[in-house]
Amino acid sequence: MPEFSPWHDNSLTYGSQNNAPAPPKRISEDPEFHSLRRAQRRFGVRATLLSVGGFLLYVLLSHSVPGLMNQRLAGEFTLGLALGLGQFVVMGVTAWCYVRHMRTRVDPLARGLGSRMHQQEAGSRAAAPHDGSRGYPTW
Amino acid sequence: MVTMSAGIVDRFSLQLTFVLFLSVVVVTLFMALLTAPQRDEISEFYLGNRTMSPLRNGLAMCGDYLSAATLLGSTGLVALNGYDGLLYLGGTVVAWMMVLLLIAEPLRRAGRFTLGDTLALRLTRLQRPARLALAVCTLVITTLYLVAQLVGSIALLTQFTGEPGAATRTLCVIVIGTVVIVYAAIGGAPGATVIQIIKAVMLIAGVTVTAVMVLNHYDWNPNALLSAAANHSGTGTQFLEPGLRYGVSTTSKIDFFSLELAIVLGLAALPHVLMRLLAPRKVDVLRSSVVWAVGLVGLVCLAAGVLGLGATAVVGRDTIANTDHKGDSAVLLLANALGGGILTALLSCLAFVTLLAVAAGLTLAAATSLAHDLYGEVIRKGRASETEELMVARLSAVVIGVLAMMLALVSWGANTATLAFLAFAIAASAILPTIVYTLFWRRFTGQGALLSLWGGLACSVLLVLFSPVVSSTPGSFYPESDFAWFPLQNPGIVSIPAGFLLGWLGTVLSERRHPQEDAAYADFEVRMLVGAKE
Repeated sequence: MPEFSPWHDNSLTYGSQNNAPAPPKRISEDPEFHSLRRAQRRFGVRATLLSVGGFLLYVLLSHSVPGLMNQRLAGEFTLGLALGLGQFVVMGVTAWCYVRHMRTRVDPLARGLGSRMHQQEAGSRAAAPHDGSRGYPTW
Repeated sequence: MVTMSAGIVDRFSLQLTFVLFLSVVVVTLFMALLTAPQRDEISEFYLGNRTMSPLRNGLAMCGDYLSAATLLGSTGLVALNGYDGLLYLGGTVVAWMMVLLLIAEPLRRAGRFTLGDTLALRLTRLQRPARLALAVCTLVITTLYLVAQLVGSIALLTQFTGEPGAATRTLCVIVIGTVVIVYAAIGGAPGATVIQIIKAVMLIAGVTVTAVMVLNHYDWNPNALLSAAANHSGTGTQFLEPGLRYGVSTTSKIDFFSLELAIVLGLAALPHVLMRLLAPRKVDVLRSSVVWAVGLVGLVCLAAGVLGLGATAVVGRDTIANTDHKGDSAVLLLANALGGGILTALLSCLAFVTLLAVAAGLTLAAATSLAHDLYGEVIRKGRASETEELMVARLSAVVIGVLAMMLALVSWGANTATLAFLAFAIAASAILPTIVYTLFWRRFTGQGALLSLWGGLACSVLLVLFSPVVSSTPGSFYPESDFAWFPLQNPGIVSIPAGFLLGWLGTVLSERRHPQEDAAYADFEVRMLVGAKE
């Protein structure tokens, strides 16, 4: 994919929803778009609850049931220390699952919708001169 | 408070540290000047090189996030408090999961330079007041965090020379502050990125090598390390059990949970980290970058845990607590015991570079917010030219740097970690609700944004003002007076829900929706999930 020039972004207009072109509205009603949103959001929320909520639960448990957390597993290793190390493992697994989920479930949908959006836009742009703009001679 | 009779570092290390630090500063300054934006373009000044590899981006994120408070403060907390200190380090890593899983990609797709731009995309009304509120919140958070870094430099200097006199303090803050201003004002994002990456590589290498030395000292037997730490802690096995620091009373347990909440939720709302998330041009590069950052931050935190335990095991808790009761000197004492003067000098230089780099990133984020949101959009109402905005950004960097230097000189005895954690709490209560609602709530309105930004900010600042941080305890700013009716050190557990609640309330109470707003959100959602129309 070719790189864009650094000043490319500056041409984007912000806060001008009023005159934004219509096509995206159609994309947003697409069932495929809905499943894209669901796929991304459901996984994100669940994984966040698992890793962040799990950690906060671990902190709470550490201070509310110290007896359980202080159980020796091997040598000086207590259950609490082991769970603490386990947090790192959970994070690693979650990150790996996230990357895999995005690559297999979300990215293809987003790419498909993106290219369709481009086509629509190109179509509407091609159709626009006929609607009465006089700046461009049609040929 | 900084209370030390004499430095712990001998003359040789002091000179070596000075030479090392000076050479790193000179090299990075040259690199910052070389990579500085050549043209008057705000995109390059704000975001830097947008086509960096994921590893470099990840290093820069790691560099932005891990401050001297982590390197010195958190290891010190582990050395003094054992298990309770280790929980801090866990929170520091977990915070990245939230960024990776929920915030990074939608924000990058729908973002430009600041959070204000993202907000403006979907709000049809009250864009400018919302930008103003965001700019003020950003300014408060970055200034607080910046002061924490500069105060940290004084605390670090204390390790070398003993309690510094007024002249030494002023000199130290002015030198560090000036270098930071040069990085941010002249180098812009490319310059700040260079020092961020150099610092991250140094930090990861330094911390890992020292951790390996600790483990080697105990023949790679973690059990031996743990039992040695417990034996030399003066508290026995209690050292490896929860509650040494925060188990005293229910209040202190709640306080600790409040702090963890602020750490875990605050990262995603720190302005300089947000800007870093917007830098990669492609979303898949951003994803890999954040994954790299999770791994690198995890590695550093694991190593920091080993360092903290190692410090107690090798040096002994009493020595650490007697040298500096906050524990900031733990790493340097450990380095001195394990590797002599040279390792001490390397790690002290690392600490100075760390706080320099974080300060540069913060100054840049504050300058961006001031120039882009406040000047460009609120004052000039979007009519400012790029050259003009860039000029304002550079000037703002200078102004913020000077402001932070003055504040740091006034409050030089404050605890670095406390200041940093307050910044996290304010970020989590004022900015995070707005980010989450903006990205995920269809009905969110301008009123909701304003109420959650101003309300979250006011709530957290007021609670801190009436907390033991400011009055009533020997460690607070005004130990003599007592107006601390709020018992917790960290306001997070109250102010974060308050911020979310206010955002919801403002939205529910605002006038009936226009169909225009629904259309704006539909467009925004497409942009957020599919990407911008390139």
